[in-house]
Amino acid sequence: MKSPETKIEQREYSRRHWLSRTGMGLGAIAAADLLTNEETRADVSAPRSTIPAKVKRVIYLFQAGGPSQLETWDHKPLLIQRQGEPLPDSVRQGQRLTGMSGNQSTLPLAGSAFSFNQHGESGTWVSELLPETAKQVDKLAVLRSMQTEAINHDPAITFLQTGNQVAGRPSIGSWLHYGLGSEADDLPAFVVLITKGKGGQPLYSRLWGSGFLPSEYQGVQFRAGKDPVLYLANPEGISRKSRRTMLDSLAKLHAAEKERTGDSELNARINQYEMAYRMQASVPEVADFSDEPAAIFDLYGQDARKPGTFASNCILARRLAERGVRFVQLYHQGWDHHGNLPGGMRTQCRETDQPAAALLQDLEQRGMLEDTLVIWGGEFGRTNYSQGKITSTSYGRDHHPRCFSMWLAGGGVRGGTVFGETCEYGYNITKDAVNVRDLHATIMHLMGINHERFTVKFQGLDARLTGVEDARVVREILS
Amino acid sequence: MSFLIRTLCFLIVLVTFARQGAERLMSAESISFNQQVRPLLSDRCYACHGPDQESRAAGLRLDDRKSALEAGVLDLTEDNENSILDRVLSEDPEYRMPPPEHSEKLTGEEVNLLRQWVQAGAPYENHWAFEPIPSSEEVLGEVADFKANWAEDNLDRLVESQSHARGLVHSDAVDREVWLRRVTFDLTGLPPTLDERENFLSDSSDTCYDKVVTRLLGSPAYGERMAAHWLDVARYADTFGYQNDMEMQVWPWRDWVIRAFNENMPYDQFIIEQLAGDLIPGASQDQKLATSFNRLHRQTNEGGSVAEEFRLAGIADRTTTTGTAFLGLTLECCRCHDHKFDPLTQEEFYQLSAYFSDIDEFGLYAHFTRAAPTPSMPIYGQGQLEEHRRIAEKIVEAEMRHDQQWAKTADFTKEDLNALVNQDLDLAPDFTDALEGGVPGVIGEAREFNGDDELKFKEAPEFGRESRYSYSFWMRLPESDKRMIVFHQSRAADDSGFRGIQFVVDNGKLEFSKIHFWPGNAVRVRTESRVAAGVWTHVVITHDGSGDAKGIQLFVNGVRQPLDTVRDKLSLDVRHRREWGDSDVGNVKLTLGARFRDVGFTGGQLDELKVYQRALTAFEIKKLFNATSEQTVEISQEDLRRHLIKGSQTMVELREELDQLRKLENDFATNLRRIMVMERDEDAGPTFILERGEYAQKTKEVESGVPGMLAHQIPDGGDRLSLAKWIASRDNPLTARVMANRIWYLLFGRGLVRTLEDFGAQGSPPTHPLLLDYLAAGLVENDWNLHWLIGEIVLSKTYQQSSDYTGDEADLTDPDNLWLTRGPRHRLSAEQIRDLVLASSGLLVRKIGGPSVKPYQPDGLWREAGTGKTYQTSKGEGLYRRSLYTFWRRTSPPPSMLTLDATSRESCTPRRESTTTPLQALVFLNDTQYVEAARELALSLLQASAQPGTERWERLFQILLSRNPSEQELAIVNQAYQDQKALFLEEQQAVDDFLSVGEREIAQVDDRIDLATTAVIVQMMFAFDETIMKR
Repeated sequence: MKSPETKIEQREYSRRHWLSRTGMGLGAIAAADLLTNEETRADVSAPRSTIPAKVKRVIYLFQAGGPSQLETWDHKPLLIQRQGEPLPDSVRQGQRLTGMSGNQSTLPLAGSAFSFNQHGESGTWVSELLPETAKQVDKLAVLRSMQTEAINHDPAITFLQTGNQVAGRPSIGSWLHYGLGSEADDLPAFVVLITKGKGGQPLYSRLWGSGFLPSEYQGVQFRAGKDPVLYLANPEGISRKSRRTMLDSLAKLHAAEKERTGDSELNARINQYEMAYRMQASVPEVADFSDEPAAIFDLYGQDARKPGTFASNCILARRLAERGVRFVQLYHQGWDHHGNLPGGMRTQCRETDQPAAALLQDLEQRGMLEDTLVIWGGEFGRTNYSQGKITSTSYGRDHHPRCFSMWLAGGGVRGGTVFGETCEYGYNITKDAVNVRDLHATIMHLMGINHERFTVKFQGLDARLTGVEDARVVREILS
Repeated sequence: MSFLIRTLCFLIVLVTFARQGAERLMSAESISFNQQVRPLLSDRCYACHGPDQESRAAGLRLDDRKSALEAGVLDLTEDNENSILDRVLSEDPEYRMPPPEHSEKLTGEEVNLLRQWVQAGAPYENHWAFEPIPSSEEVLGEVADFKANWAEDNLDRLVESQSHARGLVHSDAVDREVWLRRVTFDLTGLPPTLDERENFLSDSSDTCYDKVVTRLLGSPAYGERMAAHWLDVARYADTFGYQNDMEMQVWPWRDWVIRAFNENMPYDQFIIEQLAGDLIPGASQDQKLATSFNRLHRQTNEGGSVAEEFRLAGIADRTTTTGTAFLGLTLECCRCHDHKFDPLTQEEFYQLSAYFSDIDEFGLYAHFTRAAPTPSMPIYGQGQLEEHRRIAEKIVEAEMRHDQQWAKTADFTKEDLNALVNQDLDLAPDFTDALEGGVPGVIGEAREFNGDDELKFKEAPEFGRESRYSYSFWMRLPESDKRMIVFHQSRAADDSGFRGIQFVVDNGKLEFSKIHFWPGNAVRVRTESRVAAGVWTHVVITHDGSGDAKGIQLFVNGVRQPLDTVRDKLSLDVRHRREWGDSDVGNVKLTLGARFRDVGFTGGQLDELKVYQRALTAFEIKKLFNATSEQTVEISQEDLRRHLIKGSQTMVELREELDQLRKLENDFATNLRRIMVMERDEDAGPTFILERGEYAQKTKEVESGVPGMLAHQIPDGGDRLSLAKWIASRDNPLTARVMANRIWYLLFGRGLVRTLEDFGAQGSPPTHPLLLDYLAAGLVENDWNLHWLIGEIVLSKTYQQSSDYTGDEADLTDPDNLWLTRGPRHRLSAEQIRDLVLASSGLLVRKIGGPSVKPYQPDGLWREAGTGKTYQTSKGEGLYRRSLYTFWRRTSPPPSMLTLDATSRESCTPRRESTTTPLQALVFLNDTQYVEAARELALSLLQASAQPGTERWERLFQILLSRNPSEQELAIVNQAYQDQKALFLEEQQAVDDFLSVGEREIAQVDDRIDLATTAVIVQMMFAFDETIMKR
């Protein structure tokens, strides 16, 4: 019945076919990336369609907890004049408050404890808490009119990172990895870095999860310490040489198995073992800063010498970007200042201001800023009134989804732009609102993807990062 | 087979595979609407021209033949420029369908398909999955004329009729030992033991295959294997998910699932008990426990969350999970709008959801206590239920004696009573505060509250569910219609899901509550009349220790108030308790005027607080009032009589007896583990359609009901049980098909309908519709016996085929094995791989059920997530249990399992993807669990054969692969052994380091280098493709 003479080569069905086995349609072609190389990239033309990619990679500096826009990017002198006065009903317009402050007997307006000055040629207002970022302000497009739909941390951060408040959707990094593949031969395409030892609002692995995309598209967390990637290090007593020797023997077993069974999926398995072996060298190499000159530590700040700090993670992000990693997602927790906001903001800004500014300069001096997108921001903003009492030195702010600030910088972004306006109370957006979907559409646009056309079947729908509702590319901030 | 036919078939298949999805077959003779046309229309057209009214463009719907005909788009006459073909072929982007911004142009094949279909008169068919399931006899009748070459039994005939039509040839039967490994993994999730292998190979009887299947189905591991999959469907986890992601203790439900499978519970019963076990007349504890299925969705306790928002999100989750798990329908989109592809409206979604909103629940879980959100039930251990009943009966008896004593005419004379009126009463409180606060009060000064600052009395007594007590105070209400907190013994406002006691004023009405967990385990009463603002009012609240609504009395200015009962369901303590792991135990005390995150008593005043550790009598309360008020209230003879009876020695003794029993019961109940379940609440509120799915946008009220497209029969009644029976009905076209497909997926790694979660228009059509119907019909005809279904498949020739590629036509044209000419071949699941490693090494602990365990995982993952919790690795046997017992934290699932494609368990996910990544290699080779197991397996190999060589490696291959190594493999392994040994000889320290990985004490061996080297060989074999594959 069967013809034993058939040559093995003929038995192998094509790799392209193997790729479609994920059943994911178009983007699945990009599944090739871990097998890696450029030849498959041509198949991904559809999501890129006619849009030229402005950037090749993204570094997203996520500020988790909801940093206050009123102490950073959204200058509201009126709040200082009206310090302590109740939030006028005409401003609040009956909008939803969280249960945290919604039951307070009064909602006293609170001005920023920190002064603002204009910086750069653009004359952008920046808080004194961000002196280093202020020097880079002409590289930034500041979005002062971000808004979201969620008022609690979990749904809000899930929305920002996956385009949906409900858990189970792929994160931005997974979408981009899936659609564009990897340019790193021996590093994951999507890497997650979390500032060590911060605490505060928790982070969830779903934020870098692949949702309904295959799990190979999930972000890979790099951690400070001897095992930067989970299970990376060989067991005690197993040297690199020993592992190499064993893998060579295993490869022989696999070759024999392939001969016997004709299963060409074994190629993928063999490749993955080899890539794992390469990662065991490449990951420690990228995490080892011993080749960084002192000037780099001066630039990012001395914190950068401590692995796991935001500053150190910014250097690591740059090193990953240099090696072709598509999406580097940083998280810095601790911005949830319901009380003692001034003290908290001082600490948070001290930890993040210089490294973020340094990252922009460092990328620029390497000629990488032009094809890298850097994003800074949290999951929502904070109220213009104080949660709890205002004292001479302190106040707090509750969650505020109706307006907050973010910034973008890098390739395709028009530096020195300020986009959108909020009312003089800093409560409502008065001009050019940018919702989370618009932000996602803009990120994808810069990566050369039409967000409306990049879809994956899920629950019968053509699911996309920007969801079913309207989203627009914020062209006003693009160069 | 003629050359012509072969070529033709080959071309057909090529065309098929050229298409995305590769599943729609072309056929020259006839076009199938269900197989070919609907998928095309659904994918390309329905989004705008389908069932969803809101998004329907130009009023055209193509999912309905009548509408499409009326619109004229199916008319191909030349003068019709609006025909579907004109539109899809048009070069004018303004005119072309689908519009360029939505979708690519139709391919030539697709256009041809449409043309042929319209030319044939555009026949529509009902969607296959919504058609009744024919009987198995009817199904087999369809292939009665088919002359099989290969098939012997029914299932195989149905398979061969399809493969034959494509000119494909079936594979030979696989080696017996490979079949044994395949079926053992499929039915138990474990590899066969050496003994099992030996027994099977030496059994030459005709029934040797049947015997194996019977043995495996009867093994306790069968229930564990089936449960492991069902946990994905049921989105089972050990934590609530969302932000803080606390533990939720639902493993008793997981154990129910294992029991159900091991008892081979009929599948219809399995459905009914999970969806509505609580409503089965005379429901057993286990049947109630089964309903925990619908409480496993995520829940939050994030501060400031709106309970209603998350309550409705939970109900929506139950609805979509039920849709996906049992009916293979994707309902999620209907939460916001009509379905775009299937005839399901948004209204129907909310009608379905109404079945699941029938419980007394809050929507959030508690922040400061560990209460199981209501409704919940106790999990009784051996004899505990009887014990609990005994105590409860004693309380009832004691209460009866106590109540009867009131009725006994006490022998009091008028003189006795009158003497009492003027007698000095001891009204000294156990705790008091004059509340001197700078504003004029009833006596001296009073205290005014600003609504934000609490006044907390650390010395005040803390009261529990069984305590007797009285609160007495004067109160002056501000002008306000707000609900305001006056005093409480609790930690924070409603959004914290607090436990304790609270007294609030709501637009003048007084409301007193004792809460274990609101609303399902609490008591709340409210006055019918209002108290006026701006005047001093005397208030006394008493409680008699019963914990019931009738045990609470409320007096305003000495007059007892008629009370409305809002809830009367308290069965557990209202204190924070250490046994439950609550926070702030012993420090939750009486607090006035405000509460964390609550609306305080802004502008309200209080004076003369007195707290008693007993329930005052009406007589005492009136005395208290009269003593401080300008007015007086009259004391009746009955007040006096009751006061005297209460003070009698008999009554004192009866009360003491009752108090002791109640304390005993309260403590007993405290120590019972509880689990969330469904428990019908007849007073549950109505269900509304939510505009865009938003909780605050309630529109039309709806009754419970099932989707019209499935109204082949109407549920008998409006409650959950009627829905469950409707789903589990033989006549439901989806239920049996979905389950038959699920079992097929578990055995073949791919469903006959690839999209297990979607049997609708957008799902994949079945490759073998007749086979699917045969299995579904058979399942029903065999009284939903899953053993029948599984046996039918695993004993078929189809299942027994070799899965190797031999280079024949089928390998080239059907690499995905759609036409089943090869046996199943796919990677084992995350659980199966780890269990294989543990079982083969002898480390596996075969204990069934119990609390989840925490085996090895890299340090620091939980801590880094920032929830303030640390992963406490289990000691001893907890490291070596089967993987379905591994603690599942939703925000930080076990990393090695996620790497191997486990789902996050945040929502119902019936199907896992299977990927191949470098991170998986790192798990196999470096995870402590695997390294330790490799050493233990190596140890057992050394014990079985002292010298490295053929005997040892044969044993290793038999253990992991159920087969012997080939000569070539032996040579490779022997060489690998020599290479590794040379390396260890170079560095002896490495041997000690390598052998010390893991918790397990290492046994003494003579030749440690041999052990270490062999362990590396085992590691290599763990990572070997064939080991981690089912083939």
